[in-house]
Amino acid sequence: MQFVEKIKNLKFVRNFLLFLAIMGPGIITSNVDNDAGGIATYSLAGAHFGYTLLWSLIPITLALIVIQEMCARMAVATGKGLADLIRENFGVKITFHLMWILLVVNLLNVMAEFAGVAASLEIFNINKFFTVPLAALFVWTLVVKGTYKTVEKIFLTACLFYVTYIFSGFIAKPEWTEVFRQTIRPEITFDLKYSVMLVGIIGTTIAPWMQFYLQSSIVDKGISIEQYKHVRMDVVGGSILAPIVAFFIVVACAATLFKAGITIESAKDAAVALEPLAGKYAKILFSFGLFNASIFAASVLPLSTAYCICEGMGWNAGVDKRFEEAPEFFGLYTALIAIGAGVVLIPNFPLLKIMYFSQVGNGILLPFILIFMLILINDKSLMGEFTNNRVLNIFTWLTVIVIIALTLLMVGFSVFCPNQFI
Amino acid sequence: MDLFIFFSEILGRKVIDQDNVCIGTLSDIGMNLGKDVYPKSTYLVVKRGFWGKRFAQVSWDKVKELNKVIKISGDISEIQYQKQRPVYELTLCLDVLDQQVVDMDDQKVVRVNDVSFLKVDNYLYMAHVDVGTRGLVRRLGWSQTIDGMVKAFFPKSEYLTKEDFIPWKNTQVLTLGRTKNVLRLNIAKQKLSQIPSAELAEIMEDLDIFEKYSLFKSLESSVQLKVFSDLSTPEQEEIVDQMSDQEAGKLLENIPSDDAVDLLLNLPKEKISTLMRVMGTKKSKKLRELLDFERDSAGGLMTTEYLFLPKNALVKDAMKKIQDNVESSANIYHIYIIDDQHKLLGTTSLRNFINEDSWTPILDTCYPKKVFVRTDDGMEEIALLLEKYKFSVVPVLDEQDILKGVITIDDVLEELISIAWGKYKEKL
Repeated sequence: MQFVEKIKNLKFVRNFLLFLAIMGPGIITSNVDNDAGGIATYSLAGAHFGYTLLWSLIPITLALIVIQEMCARMAVATGKGLADLIRENFGVKITFHLMWILLVVNLLNVMAEFAGVAASLEIFNINKFFTVPLAALFVWTLVVKGTYKTVEKIFLTACLFYVTYIFSGFIAKPEWTEVFRQTIRPEITFDLKYSVMLVGIIGTTIAPWMQFYLQSSIVDKGISIEQYKHVRMDVVGGSILAPIVAFFIVVACAATLFKAGITIESAKDAAVALEPLAGKYAKILFSFGLFNASIFAASVLPLSTAYCICEGMGWNAGVDKRFEEAPEFFGLYTALIAIGAGVVLIPNFPLLKIMYFSQVGNGILLPFILIFMLILINDKSLMGEFTNNRVLNIFTWLTVIVIIALTLLMVGFSVFCPNQFI
Repeated sequence: MDLFIFFSEILGRKVIDQDNVCIGTLSDIGMNLGKDVYPKSTYLVVKRGFWGKRFAQVSWDKVKELNKVIKISGDISEIQYQKQRPVYELTLCLDVLDQQVVDMDDQKVVRVNDVSFLKVDNYLYMAHVDVGTRGLVRRLGWSQTIDGMVKAFFPKSEYLTKEDFIPWKNTQVLTLGRTKNVLRLNIAKQKLSQIPSAELAEIMEDLDIFEKYSLFKSLESSVQLKVFSDLSTPEQEEIVDQMSDQEAGKLLENIPSDDAVDLLLNLPKEKISTLMRVMGTKKSKKLRELLDFERDSAGGLMTTEYLFLPKNALVKDAMKKIQDNVESSANIYHIYIIDDQHKLLGTTSLRNFINEDSWTPILDTCYPKKVFVRTDDGMEEIALLLEKYKFSVVPVLDEQDILKGVITIDDVLEELISIAWGKYKEKL
């Protein structure tokens, strides 16, 4: 016993235990980011461009770290969600318009997630009229009946299942020397298709809803200023893990589909096409990964949307409240799931178009949110000593400008040459 | 002319001087709290320009007309513009509008959509904050459209008649975050000091931890102590968690030691020792002793705050003792008489000696029978004893008859209620 106590008192061990207690928001947010749309984009990137886009994951990781860290810092310093801060500092009009656009965009995203659930299970010949309603019911009960702690544990477990993609990456037997060469010294070509894909990868990795979700979940956890360094570790860790998973998805598709010259349209195509090339297990792992990612994101997105809209509009919110206490919150939450899942069941519904519109919507919203974030984080009266310092400010402004330019480019691409897009 | 006017209606209105020259638009109102229930408008903040925004403050005494446009006396040349946005005791856009407030009546946190003023002689008095949907729609500038639509389709809708107003006197602005802003603290202190601490504790139950903490911090330290004692142990823990070690130590030093012990028992060992280090040595020694007792034994339940006197004391000393301790949180109606080794000789109460001559030895007023419990006595024994003698407080002695502390009936009740509650829950 004394030995155990001694170990517990070691500084390193103590820090690690503290980290475990605080871990969650950052890792969950980054992983949800690899949702149905994300996996589709990475699969396409691998299948159509081989390893040539792998390099882009390195700058993406840096951008993710920078942006997510700002959210975490705001959460800890102000104890308020991003929607709260926007409402309090930019007024009701801006907030209102931001919120309805966010609602529409996120609804499209939710549809895409349920479509992902349907697609992944159709690979195993399970009918979507059975799986989608069941998935919707599961998601709804999970959050309404669960407590924050149990839900977070389930989410963290879901994060573990992303390992399946790492396995499929290895099963695909890529030429590792080639993989590393392309990552570090890429052969960049700048034709239209390549640029569209590049912008697509960035657009899918940094989404507006993530900032709201991350900040609210850190606030919900009630993390104090002293614990901030652990939060930062969590956020940075998540921002590194998510691109690693993306990396292996690209590698798996590049080593098989690209080599065989197969073109695909969706993540489901990728999983099916993997079977003859890399074996049955590759297919199973790949589609299970897609299922996990879709249902995970389908659980997080409606909740996060309902929360932040209620925050911004000043309505009562919280899963631990009764329906009469927070009617707007439960109404929004239920409607998002019901519509998101219901639409997938409509025959001949243009799902690919939906996915594409959700990407465009994300792209339009993101610049505004990033600029609001930068204004907020430099507000001394709000952040006190936690404002950005000069070096960080230059770096974040650069990151934000590049991301804004690229997302505008993506929106431009998708408006003027939609055929090039997914 | 309406008696009531909404902030959203006058915000952004044109401000002109005596010669009808435009000075700018109304961008904020500065208010003085004063002694009145309703704060009174004292400054207009006027904004000019879009890119290179300039602000100017104008005393409200200059307002001549408050209609579609706001007319002030004096000339535009008297007005000084500056880059900085002025800040007052209560700056409406910064402190109230769009901020979260605690509704003291319904005990919940809501967001302010609009403010309604009482208009008297061109002065505005803040009467209500509007937290309803109508306020939200009004702010968006869609009142007429939406009202028209609702009237056309649902003429009987609640929306048309229901106003969600909270009187300003029942509103508490939450002090924002951790880094902002001292001014609000003053507003808070004035208003909060009028609310009983038990009610404040109840309000705090419904807040999340950040709101809880900011509300707590805005209380005066004496009120803080009372409210803190009324909170449940998990909530106390949350609060202590948010505090720096110095603050937490100071707080623990000042609350009754039985409460402090309850709280400490739930903290990690490491945190306890840091807190002990920042506390005064006398108090931390006491707490350390208490921490060693079983939780629901007499030793664990007791508090070490009680009044005692030496055996040769007189009634006047007892009176003085009580007068000196009126402010303390301890039970002051009972006084324990001890010898040089702190052994208990007798117990007396205010009732016993209040009518006695002030030169009577205090020992003569003691209860004939010495009633006490031992430090290792269990809860049931204590409860039965209190019931049997109809006492509200009983002394705790160790094996050598040395007085260690006292147990008050509310400490026992608290434990018993939680036991009873547990059993009741099991039944369900």
